[in-house]
Amino acid sequence: MKWRVIGFSENDAFTNMAIDEAVSESVRAGGPPTIRFYGWSPSAVSIGYFQSLESEVDTGRCRELGIDVVRRRTGGGAVYHDNQGEITYSIIANEELFPKDIIASYKVICGYICDSLSLLGIESEFQPINDIAAGGRKISGNAQTRRKGVLLQHGTILYDVDVEKMFSLLRVPDEKIRDKMIASVKERVTSVCHQNQATKEEVYQALLKGFTAGKDFYHEGLTGEEISRSKALVKERYSSKEWNAMR
Amino acid sequence: MKWQEKIPNGKMVAVEAQVEHGTVIKVRITGDFFLHPEDAIHDLEKALTGLPREIKENEVVEIIREVLRHATLIGATPEDIARIFKKALL
Repeated sequence: MKWRVIGFSENDAFTNMAIDEAVSESVRAGGPPTIRFYGWSPSAVSIGYFQSLESEVDTGRCRELGIDVVRRRTGGGAVYHDNQGEITYSIIANEELFPKDIIASYKVICGYICDSLSLLGIESEFQPINDIAAGGRKISGNAQTRRKGVLLQHGTILYDVDVEKMFSLLRVPDEKIRDKMIASVKERVTSVCHQNQATKEEVYQALLKGFTAGKDFYHEGLTGEEISRSKALVKERYSSKEWNAMR
Repeated sequence: MKWQEKIPNGKMVAVEAQVEHGTVIKVRITGDFFLHPEDAIHDLEKALTGLPREIKENEVVEIIREVLRHATLIGATPEDIARIFKKALL
């Protein structure tokens, strides 16, 4: 079993989500299991499949700041993907390569991230359901889905975090407690920069090692078919109002 | 009417329901939980639409279990959704 590794590239939010889906389709059709690293340009907010766009995101503020907003195919919560502040990965493979139990499979894949952080001298642990914490504070969030035999998990590793900016884009249940919520999130979230002096490139190199350890793999980009399929998915789904404002 | 709860050791689930003449005419379930396949949420919302407001919570649990029998729900249970649904009907 040879894994394909697609090196770090930056795309807009719609393209990132479309590529994950296009690769899922090619894996389903017999293509290689794939690990991909990516960033968000411009910065973006992604929301979980089941979230209400209106209740979670200040879309007017996002528009003013040129921040993309996209609904993911996966569940989970709203995430602010800062262009400089994080590295995102996706791992897409036949689900038989991972434990059938969802939490057990999160643990395996999150284990690659813990191993990567450990190479940087950061001790971290998987926190069910879908987080990784360093010193008890969240440093990575992850979301998985399975469809027609294919597992897709994507997630982010926080490199540097700007909680104030994040909260200026996300809605809070009660404006009166916004400051309190910001303070509480600051206490519960950390990032690589809070932990040590590693550069973003060093974090990426550690992630490459952590995700590929013990695997037979090769570096290659998307196929022509995946590129054209992802362009179609951007148009018909991920950049459409019907999809993003679906609930 | 809307009710939402953060499930202990789980996720946030919100149910918005519209009732007319004692019958549920619209249901929307939102939150940061996981459900595979994701489309099952539409079947679930459809199954809860048309129910009488007075339906018992344990009957709602059974309906949710039946609709989601081939799906995987993470971060909430059918019991949680049924409880929140009933509260949204109050």
